[in-house]
Amino acid sequence: MMRTIEILLVIIILTGAFIISSLFAVLPSPRQVSPLNLPRLALTTLQTLDGDYDLSATVFKANDDPAWAQLQIALSACLPPNMVYNLTVYEVQGGAQLYTVIKSFSNAENLGVSSESASYLVASSNVTFSVTPEKIGEHGSGGTLYILNCSDANGWWITGYTAQSLAQDLYNLLCPYFKNTIMVQNTTQLDQMLNNQSLQGETLQNAVVINTFGECVPIPKVYCKGYERENEGYDSSVTYPYTRYCYTLGQRTCQYNWTWVSIVGYPLYYASNTEAFVNVDNTYGIYGMQKVYQGGINAFLQGLDNQPYRYDDTEVAKPIPGGLVSLSSTVALDCNYYGIYPSPNQTSTRALSTSILSNNLTVALKVFDQVGNQIPGAVYNHIFRNNVNITGSFLALGLTRTPDIRLTALGLLSYYKPRLHPSDYTANGTSRLVVFQLGQAGGV
Amino acid sequence: MAGSTIDHIVALTVFLAALLLFISLFNQTIQTAILYQQHRHLATVCSDLLDNMMLNSGYPLDWGKTNSTPTSFGLQDPEFTQYRLSPFSLMRLQSLTGKPFTYPRTGVTYSNMSIGFGNFLFVPYTKAINYSTAAQLLGITNTYGFNLTITPIVTVSVEETHAANPLTLVVNVAGPGFPLSNAEVSYCFVKVVSNGPQKNPSYTSLFNTTYTNDAGSAVLYIPNVAADNAYAFIAYAHMSGLVGIGYHERVTGSARTQYVLPLIDSFEDRRVLLVHSYNVHDFGPPESSVFFNATFVLLTEDFTLREMPMENSTGKLGKVVYGEGTEKTYQNLTIPTYNPGILIITYHSNNDDGVVLMPWGMSSMAFPVTFGSTASNPEWVVTDIRQVLVNGIAYQAKLLLWSLKGYGVIG
Repeated sequence: MMRTIEILLVIIILTGAFIISSLFAVLPSPRQVSPLNLPRLALTTLQTLDGDYDLSATVFKANDDPAWAQLQIALSACLPPNMVYNLTVYEVQGGAQLYTVIKSFSNAENLGVSSESASYLVASSNVTFSVTPEKIGEHGSGGTLYILNCSDANGWWITGYTAQSLAQDLYNLLCPYFKNTIMVQNTTQLDQMLNNQSLQGETLQNAVVINTFGECVPIPKVYCKGYERENEGYDSSVTYPYTRYCYTLGQRTCQYNWTWVSIVGYPLYYASNTEAFVNVDNTYGIYGMQKVYQGGINAFLQGLDNQPYRYDDTEVAKPIPGGLVSLSSTVALDCNYYGIYPSPNQTSTRALSTSILSNNLTVALKVFDQVGNQIPGAVYNHIFRNNVNITGSFLALGLTRTPDIRLTALGLLSYYKPRLHPSDYTANGTSRLVVFQLGQAGGV
Repeated sequence: MAGSTIDHIVALTVFLAALLLFISLFNQTIQTAILYQQHRHLATVCSDLLDNMMLNSGYPLDWGKTNSTPTSFGLQDPEFTQYRLSPFSLMRLQSLTGKPFTYPRTGVTYSNMSIGFGNFLFVPYTKAINYSTAAQLLGITNTYGFNLTITPIVTVSVEETHAANPLTLVVNVAGPGFPLSNAEVSYCFVKVVSNGPQKNPSYTSLFNTTYTNDAGSAVLYIPNVAADNAYAFIAYAHMSGLVGIGYHERVTGSARTQYVLPLIDSFEDRRVLLVHSYNVHDFGPPESSVFFNATFVLLTEDFTLREMPMENSTGKLGKVVYGEGTEKTYQNLTIPTYNPGILIITYHSNNDDGVVLMPWGMSSMAFPVTFGSTASNPEWVVTDIRQVLVNGIAYQAKLLLWSLKGYGVIG
């Protein structure tokens, strides 16, 4: 009898356990079992109605405007018949109360047992939201951008473009970020710059000089053979005598603390002046151009480091094995900030060797990730030993042709990091927030 | 001793019976909860899958404008963000509902997306994306089945209430059971002008704008139309961001049986084959050549219609014959643009005139799309919907999803 009583006790315990677990295991209501994604439906409805900016126009109209009635009709027309909704428009403003109700309407007294909503921010068509960039040099020295646009020189390794078209594109991209942007229209003006003469009253010191001529660099006539500054541009004792001119460029870069920019290919491989070299070609049929060869970049770096001039045509730029290089994480991140989106992968056939760093150079910014001992693209700072001041910088992108000048712009912006100041979206009367709440009629 | 044994037997029997009963009761509770979770999971998958289709262009991005099979499936218009679908990607989906047919001259089978007489869209099976390919590209083969329907939100119906002098047409604009009052309606009226037997017809076109009344209707009076004139009427209705399209054609006499049938031949080359209707539906003699004259209209950004001139080299003028004689049985026509629009083909056959329409880009004539599979005894089907735009036309995308695995739940 005792066993039977024990079993009855067990049954009572199990019954209690079942009842208690059943109380907690509440099954959901039928509409929760297979729900429509109401927030998405609400959002896509608002997006559809704003496809041609009709919604944006309506929510800024007066409360008694017929456009509100039309919006209500459109909402009723585009939603499934079992949907109930409430649409509320808020004015977005500053101050203690951020949102003020402007208008609200529904197609039912209430939204049933449950509802979900989506919000959508619309901007007034009368307001233009702008982004004001900080000017480079605004809070310090420098701030001048020189873009070489010399009409009396030819470019190389910029196949499909002319230096002038690239210069114009660069101007459009970078002009908002610099205090002064100056197109250097001919080699005479380039000569003026090299002699510390301002072209338009701008500050020459700490300027950025972009060479849009690819592997070639414009050379003022005075630096050519037979002219007054021949000794600064021409060295008859070597195979490629205009290597000497690159040394002068390096010296000036150091002297004025310029940032010299080579947009593509092997830097300073040719020199061009269509008047001085009228009968000379670069061995590929481009007249007005002299080959400088591999010694150009070496001479430039010697000049930058204030070393005595010594002809050296050691090869310092080679193709990356496999060719493919990727934007560094810093620069890739800055693509979003500055809204410039070049392809993140490029082909590098003229990546500089790390051996050039022996010229008192440090890598200030890697535009592309380093591959072994080759740097496909970077900004180098020159700092004399036992010194902390930068005395000249050099941006080189050792990519294959044709050039993507957005990479140059991105490299410079990523290096100087000018800030962007967007206009305030919460300013009174500029934005309105539309909250669209959806529920399902009927049932539980 | 005997009493103790009986006690044990009774106790054990009762215990085992109670245990079985409670196992069954607990099992039911657990199974119901599992089933609920599986259904919730299916609803989440449905929402994700729908977003995956709507917010992804697929690869290549412009696969809708090529003849190639994409390596990734998505319907978003690559030129836009958000829920905007490509009218050409939609055009390349194999229709689930239309009855396919084979054109005997080329042996090509076509997916039929047409909506009644005169509103044709035929896409070759070889260039249309079928359900199994899409399921494979979406990674749901043998796991989930789906059915995607994309239907226009706004219905624009056109009714002829008076045949001639003046021709009277009533345009009704409505959402699902709700008329759109004060909607702007821009329309294009194309009248076929016969140039005599065995000659290509010409046409006159009229473009204008009107508004619907409180009941969502607009009454249009078109002058200079006789009862024996064939015509096509296309209307775009626009209100508060909602855009819908309606159309109506009138053909005369035997032009309803002997007409031009447009068959898409190549998306990449924008090439359309124009064939004789008898190659598809043989209504018996008499049979005659059909002379045609085609044109193309676009919907502009301000929601008005504009005719896009076609060069003679596109093949806009010609004739098609039924027989297999020395004459070509069909003609090639090249659509002049990748902008969505409507190909209007006016034709003359057996002294009667007619006109047929074909959308270039699914949205141009607000054709619905039904793509996927039909559920066969599924345990549970979930649904999710989105409002989308297809070249500015408001559509509703609805996805039905079911599991192909089953859950192995008893009871």
